[in-house]
Amino acid sequence: MRRQRPVTFNHNPLLEKGLPAWRARFVLLALLLGSAALVGRAAWLQGFNHEFLQAQGESRYSRVIPVPATRGRITDRNGDVIAVSTPVRSIWAIPGDARLTPAQTRQLAELLEMNVADLNRRLDSERDFVYLRRQLSPETARRIADLGLPGIHQHQEYRRYYPGGEVMAHVVGFTGVEDSGQEGIELAFDAELKGRPGSRRVIRDRRGQIIEDVESIRPPRDGKDIVLAMDNRIQFLAYSALRQAMQQHSAKAGGVVVLDARTGEVLALVNAPTFNPNNRTGLSGAQLRNRVLTDVFEPGSTIKPFIGALALERGKVRPDTTIDTESGRMTIGRATISDVRRYGVLTVSQVIEKSSNVGTVKMAMNFAPEEMWSLFDELGFGTQLDLGFPGEAAGRLRPAKSWRPIEQATMAYGHGMSSTLTQLARAYLVFARDGELLPLSLTRVESAPAGSRVFSVETARMMRAMLENAAGPHGTAPKARIEGYRVAGKTGTAHKLEGGKYVSKYVSSFVGFAPVSDPRLIVAVMIDEPSAGQHYGGAVSAPVFARIMEGSLRSLGVAPDAPLVPLHLANRVEEQKGNM
Amino acid sequence: MRLATVLSGLLPVPDGRKGAETSRAVERLMRPPGTARELDPLLVWPAVALLLIGLVMVYSSSIALAEGSRFTGNLPHYFLLRHAVFLAVGVAVGLLSFQFSLRQWQQFAPWLFMLGLVLLAVVLVPGVGREVNGAQRWLSLGPVNLQPSELMKVFVTLYAADYTVRKLPDMGSFRRGFLPMVGVVLTVGCLVLLEPDFGAFVVIAAIAFGVMFLGGINGRLFALLATVAVIGFVLLIWLSPYRRDRIFGFMDPWQDAFGRGYQLSHALIAFGRGEWFGVGLGASVEKLFYLPEAHTDFLLAVIAEELGFVGVLTVVLLFAVLVQRAFSIGREAIHLERYFSGLVAMGIGLWFGVQSFINMGVNMGLLPTKGLTLPLMSFGGSALVANCMALAILLRVDWEVRQMKRGANL
Repeated sequence: MRRQRPVTFNHNPLLEKGLPAWRARFVLLALLLGSAALVGRAAWLQGFNHEFLQAQGESRYSRVIPVPATRGRITDRNGDVIAVSTPVRSIWAIPGDARLTPAQTRQLAELLEMNVADLNRRLDSERDFVYLRRQLSPETARRIADLGLPGIHQHQEYRRYYPGGEVMAHVVGFTGVEDSGQEGIELAFDAELKGRPGSRRVIRDRRGQIIEDVESIRPPRDGKDIVLAMDNRIQFLAYSALRQAMQQHSAKAGGVVVLDARTGEVLALVNAPTFNPNNRTGLSGAQLRNRVLTDVFEPGSTIKPFIGALALERGKVRPDTTIDTESGRMTIGRATISDVRRYGVLTVSQVIEKSSNVGTVKMAMNFAPEEMWSLFDELGFGTQLDLGFPGEAAGRLRPAKSWRPIEQATMAYGHGMSSTLTQLARAYLVFARDGELLPLSLTRVESAPAGSRVFSVETARMMRAMLENAAGPHGTAPKARIEGYRVAGKTGTAHKLEGGKYVSKYVSSFVGFAPVSDPRLIVAVMIDEPSAGQHYGGAVSAPVFARIMEGSLRSLGVAPDAPLVPLHLANRVEEQKGNM
Repeated sequence: MRLATVLSGLLPVPDGRKGAETSRAVERLMRPPGTARELDPLLVWPAVALLLIGLVMVYSSSIALAEGSRFTGNLPHYFLLRHAVFLAVGVAVGLLSFQFSLRQWQQFAPWLFMLGLVLLAVVLVPGVGREVNGAQRWLSLGPVNLQPSELMKVFVTLYAADYTVRKLPDMGSFRRGFLPMVGVVLTVGCLVLLEPDFGAFVVIAAIAFGVMFLGGINGRLFALLATVAVIGFVLLIWLSPYRRDRIFGFMDPWQDAFGRGYQLSHALIAFGRGEWFGVGLGASVEKLFYLPEAHTDFLLAVIAEELGFVGVLTVVLLFAVLVQRAFSIGREAIHLERYFSGLVAMGIGLWFGVQSFINMGVNMGLLPTKGLTLPLMSFGGSALVANCMALAILLRVDWEVRQMKRGANL
């Protein structure tokens, strides 16, 4: 089909009318006006309204993110690390991007120690972000990164690591996932350890990756290191001695406290059963309990020296004053107090040495209840130690006004009142420190804090001599003796109260100190429900004391104050004397 | 031979070397020096500049997307490579298109238009057309996809010009001049809207009626048509919740900035971040997965962020020059009574002008958000090839006009 072509020389009026030039100009003008409008709009957006728009942008992709502060380390008094934060990596995925071949999935699952089905379930998630595994070791994380899998990412976190494991567990406690203290020192000193996280402003792309560091708003301040009073070696000694005794006596629980008699520092603090703070799966409440601080028990005979010392202090008796323990039985009201044996007439010193209930009660009944109460109060019974530990128990010391005579009598030998092992150990400072009591400290102190005087120097020394006898060959705890050092201490064997009645279950304890000539350490041992036949403090707890005390004194390099006669030889000499 | 002429036309012809044909040599001797160009440099260079800026900006805006997506095999050059290949194909198609005279194009026009209609129909056949994001716009041709609506823009330009020239005497008549074209546009419109591709419909309608308007259609009829069109658009918008949402997003993107206004608000933020001189090439934050379609519909926003107002101004000016040249070439052709050539040139100018205005207006929040690419610049093979083809035809008109001015009888 051919169309007619316009002929140049023939100006068709219709055509003239048909293609008016003004229309082209009009359309062009309209388009150019459009361009001008665009330029104007762009200038407005980019030159004048940009602050609002940039603020809108900031609110979308600018984020203030925390810069974690490293949690402080916890070390023992010699600088050995007890708790430290180590960098770990957490593996996460963008499920939409993570398209893995079955072989890749298997590889990844193996490195993550997950099973393939679990991993696939996580990767099938609808969400944009899923954690695959948190707190993985850096080496494993590197191997995962080397796989170069799409959609699998990682970021750094810190994990608390406790090199001491279960030996230190109760002292140090542990932190939660969010790196805050949950138990023990970690909780008690959380504020210092935590430090202050900083923050910085960053620009992130829509997938959350940081693409630009805008500014540091606040630099992080790392947590302070805490230096504990604890001595690693002594702690370990105490731990292993206690564990051995627990097994030997099939005991339910136990605890040991070691104090430095010169400064009041807590050198060791052990509980059994214990747990591994690095792997806290399947923990029971019994394992978690810091018994030496949170559990109270009736201290039993370990209280007697305080009554004796009070009697000495008030001039009511002298060490050689005789007390008739009669037939080993004594009736107060309708109750009867008895000794294990019929001792007859004993000196005050022998009352302590043999741990005579009747003798102690006779001394105690010389005092008004208030006098005894204020002694106990001064010694710290019934009051929290305020070490900062969570759940610290105060023990029970009822007001003197409510005491009936029988109660006053039983309290003289440590029944009807309760205390924690740590409180008891601390009270023994008065004998080790010539009558002075110190506040305790979990952290290392440079010099001894100011103490308070409870007894005179003479009284304390007299009682020290008696306690040395108690731990001597004729006392209740000959097994507390150690080679090369003179030791002093007192056994305690208390019936347990169950449902308001005393039952045939025992708490055997021993509290003592050494060397007697210049006391350096106080060791308190408590074994709950020894059930392998023996239950007397002298048989169950004293050997634990001896082991811990001997090892600790040697490790501290304390000069011996007794002739180095091998103990078995000394024992034989004593026996021969006895036979004569 | 013609190819050589085309290429040499980009440069001023050196005085010493004259064309082989004696008549032309004589012709040239009689013209003042400085005008001896085969092609309009003000048309060629802006077009080349737009194509090259587009290439760079497509790479810049797509790099994060390409690297972060498994669909692209995490290859950062994914879109760049494809865009470069499309550009090469576009240039080849352009060179080929230049070989045909406008007379030939006029002969092809109805057939090409018919081909376009067939392709638009085929794309709607389930299983044949490829569906992406709920729109069935692509024909799968082995490794590449063809988007018929982009080619249709060229074909409609040619067809409308041809129609107008054929019906010049009837331009005053509603029934003979106007109604058939309305029918044609509605047919195309229906096919395009079924995909759906509202943006393409707007451009196609603008070209068709624009060319008729330039061709001298009855003024009152046109006003009527404009009214009907406006009512039609409003109806289309009201009847489709999808489109209505987009309209409201445009009115106040901050009101629902995380829903309907999401895309526009991020485009505007990109403009704001760019300020006068931009944050620097490659430094856009918005392209990092915030701004959807950064390398296609919202390329200008990335330009605005990285190159600032200066970059936007450059792009707007280049398009303005291009459109102005197209109209100027068209006017010269009409002066030479090459009405078809003139209307085709103006139609192409109209096309580039309208589509770039809408795209840029959308980017800046002046117009409701709809899927239209930036001509010559955005990523997209069919569009790029169609744009190059149109550009080549425009250059051919220019070349023919120049030849005729020198006395050649074509």
